[in-house]
Amino acid sequence: MSINIWIVVAGDPAVGNLIDTARSLGGQVCAAVVGSRVVADTVAAGGVDKVVWFGEPGKAPVEAFATAAADVIEATPGVVLGASRASDRVLLGAVAARLQAPVLTAPSSVSAEGDTLVVTRSIFSGIAEETVTVSGPVAVVLDGGPIPVANPAGGSALMEEVSAVTLGMTVVETHSSDFEQVDLGAAPRVVGIGRGLKAPGDLAMIEALAKASRSEVACSRPLAEGLDWLHKDRYIGVSGQHIAPEVYFAIGISGQLQHMVGVRGATTIVAINSDPNALVFTEADYCLVGDLYSIVPALTDALR
Amino acid sequence: MTALEVSNKAEPDFDVIIVGAGIAGCIAAYQLAQQGRSVLLIERGEAPGSKNLSGGVLYCRGMQEVFPDFLDSAPVERRVTRNYINFLNAESSIGIDYKDTRLADPVNAVTVLRAKLDPWLAGKCEEAGVFLMSGVRVDRVLTENGATGKRVVGVKAGDDELRAHVVVAADGVNSFIAQEVGLRAKQPLNHLATGVKCVVNLPAETIEARFGVTGDEGAAFAVVGDCTEGVGGGGFMYTNTNSISVGVVLRLDDLTAKRKVATDVFDHFLTHPFIAPYLEGGEVIEYGCHMVAEGGLGMLGEIDMDGMVVVGDAAGLTLNTGLTVRGMDLAVASGVAAAVGIGASLERKDFSKAGLAGYRETLFASPEGKDMKTYAKAPAFLEVERMYKDYGELIANVLYGAFNLDTKPREHLAKVAIRAFKKSPVKVRHLISDGIAGVRAL
Amino acid sequence: MKIVVAYKWAPNPQDASVGVDGAVDWSRAKPGISEYDPVAIELARRLAEATGGEVIALTAGPKSVDASMARKAALSRGFDRAVIVADDALEGAGTTELAAVLAAAVRHIGDVDVVITGDSSVDVGAKMVPTVLAGQLGWPAVAEVTAVSGSDPAAGLLRVERAITGGTQVLEITGPAVLAASTDAAVPRVPGMRDILAAGKKPVETLEVPALDVPASGTTVTVTATARPDLKARKGQLIDTADPAAAAAELVAALRADGAI
Ligand SMILES: Cc1cc2nc3c(=O)[nH]c(=O)nc-3n(C[C@H](O)[C@H](O)[C@H](O)COP(=O)(O)OP(=O)(O)OC[C@H]3O[C@@H](n4cnc5c(N)ncnc54)[C@H](O)[C@@H]3O)c2cc1C
Ligand SMILES: Cc1cc2nc3c(=O)[nH]c(=O)nc-3n(C[C@H](O)[C@H](O)[C@H](O)COP(=O)(O)OP(=O)(O)OC[C@H]3O[C@@H](n4cnc5c(N)ncnc54)[C@H](O)[C@@H]3O)c2cc1C
Ligand SMILES: Nc1ncnc2c1ncn2[C@@H]1O[C@H](COP(=O)(O)O)[C@@H](O)[C@H]1O
Repeated sequence: MSINIWIVVAGDPAVGNLIDTARSLGGQVCAAVVGSRVVADTVAAGGVDKVVWFGEPGKAPVEAFATAAADVIEATPGVVLGASRASDRVLLGAVAARLQAPVLTAPSSVSAEGDTLVVTRSIFSGIAEETVTVSGPVAVVLDGGPIPVANPAGGSALMEEVSAVTLGMTVVETHSSDFEQVDLGAAPRVVGIGRGLKAPGDLAMIEALAKASRSEVACSRPLAEGLDWLHKDRYIGVSGQHIAPEVYFAIGISGQLQHMVGVRGATTIVAINSDPNALVFTEADYCLVGDLYSIVPALTDALR
Repeated sequence: MTALEVSNKAEPDFDVIIVGAGIAGCIAAYQLAQQGRSVLLIERGEAPGSKNLSGGVLYCRGMQEVFPDFLDSAPVERRVTRNYINFLNAESSIGIDYKDTRLADPVNAVTVLRAKLDPWLAGKCEEAGVFLMSGVRVDRVLTENGATGKRVVGVKAGDDELRAHVVVAADGVNSFIAQEVGLRAKQPLNHLATGVKCVVNLPAETIEARFGVTGDEGAAFAVVGDCTEGVGGGGFMYTNTNSISVGVVLRLDDLTAKRKVATDVFDHFLTHPFIAPYLEGGEVIEYGCHMVAEGGLGMLGEIDMDGMVVVGDAAGLTLNTGLTVRGMDLAVASGVAAAVGIGASLERKDFSKAGLAGYRETLFASPEGKDMKTYAKAPAFLEVERMYKDYGELIANVLYGAFNLDTKPREHLAKVAIRAFKKSPVKVRHLISDGIAGVRAL
Repeated sequence: MKIVVAYKWAPNPQDASVGVDGAVDWSRAKPGISEYDPVAIELARRLAEATGGEVIALTAGPKSVDASMARKAALSRGFDRAVIVADDALEGAGTTELAAVLAAAVRHIGDVDVVITGDSSVDVGAKMVPTVLAGQLGWPAVAEVTAVSGSDPAAGLLRVERAITGGTQVLEITGPAVLAASTDAAVPRVPGMRDILAAGKKPVETLEVPALDVPASGTTVTVTATARPDLKARKGQLIDTADPAAAAAELVAALRADGAI
């Protein structure tokens, strides 16, 4: 591809997938990096040709650099890739606006044919897929992937530091809470729970099942956002994690599209729900219609 | 009795409040708005039609009187020119095929999908000036003690109360409003049936080829016998433009007595070798269970009281003649009649039962009201076991004797059909629900 | 304060059907206020109550977004008025085009202090309209916002709390800004009958795209193929749970037989 390929980086160097995708298009890959020098160096070593770095952000959040990123990319517009995280989306949005570039999300494949970009992507929460060809500037949102490993061939990218005019935003407080990070994607079995669970105290029962079945615990979106019973990185679905374990236990989950799209790759799906009409049963291999509070302990026993 | 007693006499918010934007409620609302009345139409579904099981055959003369351009401007699917009545046995079927182009001129019956018809009707109401409020479930009616006893003065939903001179209960077969104020008792089981139905998508050309119709013509198939596994009731297939409405209507008492599950009977129906070929290759795009009142006149409750009238299914206005389920045309007729009666009561400022008597008079003077009387005995007839089981087999055995000229063993068609059906992308949603759960879900 | 809430009137793909060729049939999916947008409305109302501001509804889409039911559904949720860009040219419009139209409408409204949006729309769900909108306006944007107050509204200062991985952060922003509410930022109120009646009387300004100054895109996007994702066939095997222990044993045996555990 002879047009410019950009990736935007918003403070988090976990952009391995962006770099790989950009590289696969075969052209000059530039990264616009907001964040510390360490982040910029990590990206530079990760296999891009050039990094434009906006300097140490100080008390300004990454979002404050959105206009600056747009200014830089506007000079040589092209295909712009960004991760689906909140701050990354802000930078990418500003760039897309400046270029009046369409935004494509949820791609399963991105490739180049001459100067046109060919993207196959899932649309409308995964009910359909479309393939589009794009000529002209375009913004693509995709999974950031892991932190890139330093390019063994050495030859770090050209680093250009630009001074940026930031938007009027300041971080005045940051509170962090501890949470246990999990890699749901690597778990062979996952126990997913939903609003059928009545109280956070009942999680102990679920953890017992997870232990007996050697599974990780995951959940539907409302349990992580709203109820806050589990951390956000444990919810599954169109806006959460996509997993493909050997077994997925959907417990007290109604099985709406936006959740199920995240587990469609599972080899076997077991559904436990008291409502015989629950949608989850239309996508399950084993259907147990009943009260999770009697079935889960029995299942835990049977697995021990 | 849970009706709220209210004593303050506030100025009403509307002339008329109608609960339920089904066919009966919409027609009453439309007609009253045409008279220049202020009308509030409340629907619990997020949008009209979203809670209503899709359509069927509508005998449309009444509708055409309300909307002269009904056939051209309303979302009707096909004009029914072919009626097919089928007695089904496990391995044989006997049909009466009644095809008549006279049925299309003037058009007597059309197929409709409620998901399309109800929004259209509600749109007509809004154009006529009705205030449509959707996504609101009426919790109870407001009553006051008047000179002649309890009278209805408004409705309550959540924390809000709204008042009107007259309230219309158009809230369908389970009408809790009519029950709440004591106009209807809880019905005995043999007056209720459960309908399980789905809509199967198929290309128009396929439908026309399979059902022997052309253009905008349509067919209505009524099926009794083995299709319901002996349970009192029947099945139907109606052609829409690009889909087929297919379902069974099963008597609740008989389902219970025979320990059958409605959705299982429905699955049996869908995979029956007579039915399956019509649906092959189709895709289920809508699926649901709904109660049907089929008690005819015996089911009809009190339909008026001080400050309130009851219309459509809420009043028990349904007719199951065995070959047809009629309810939509009666809903239209009762909506029209209610508007006449309420209009007169508003004119005279007399909202008592006596003041609203015009509703009852107009309803029973209408052709539909007369039919209710004509068919008064039909339900009892339909309870006779023979209708569903024995007749069909009997005739079949006779015909088998006459036509069976070769004795080579047959392949078990049912299995083939089931396989064919299961292979097609048809996915019956909620496959494993049982009938009772379906009924409760309403 | 002049607060705008951008809400979408859209159907849930859950209710759409997809042909084997991937063509999406929306005819049975009824549109409504997009699932998470009432959260944005609630945040806006709180901000307005605290600062004595005005809350304006803004939406853009095909003509159907201006249907009376759609208007009432929005206005009954506590808006003072609405600006609706209803134009069939917006049928199927993409994120950037919609955001450009919304930005033009925000400029048209004038003197807006903050635009609050939902997290993601129920149909498209890109989580990108708010950020592209901010880009069009040249304003700061923040997503995953859990709370907002006017720390010094007179000086145009907003105090915004947002969720970050493993914690929260408080930002001070010199407005105007676009804020995308996290899905759990607030519990939306359910409108009552009186709210819906009042909605019928609130002012609505309806616009068409040509009335706004919307920049054009130089990029062409051509759809070359659509498909229905190939879903795994599932067994759908029912396990009787009358006796939970027996059901558990049956399930475990089945999973073992499958080699799944
Ligand atoms: C744009 C958008 C994106 C979204 N993204 C996601 C996403 O990524 N992930 C996600 O999960 N959701 C997502 N959602 C939300 C999704 O649409 C559903 O609302 C959500 O998945 C429902 O969660 P649930 O099944 O836990 O809750 P509910 O739908 O409330 O279901 C609870 C279930 O528990 C059952 N139950 C209750 N009691 C018992 C009992 N005692 N025993 C057994 N069963 C019981 C009930 O029958 C019910 O089926 C999104 C929505 C939108 C609009
Ligand atoms: C399987 C089946 C097949 C049928 N086939 C045919 C046929 O072929 N031809 C025919 O003519 N008839 C048929 N019928 C009967 C027909 O559907 C009904 O008679 C007809 O729908 C009655 O209309 P209605 O307006 O009285 O009630 P409904 O259509 O039931 O409308 C009632 C409305 O009130 C609303 N509502 C209920 N409670 C409240 C509340 N508390 N607050 C606010 N809103 C509320 C509901 O959401 C609904 O929209 C069939 C019925 C079934 C179940
Ligand atoms: N057509 C629209 N009109 C108004 N607001 C919109 C529109 N589309 C999206 N939004 C807003 O942007 C948010 C995110 O949408 P999306 O980027 O489509 O996921 C929604 O929750 C709405 O608040």
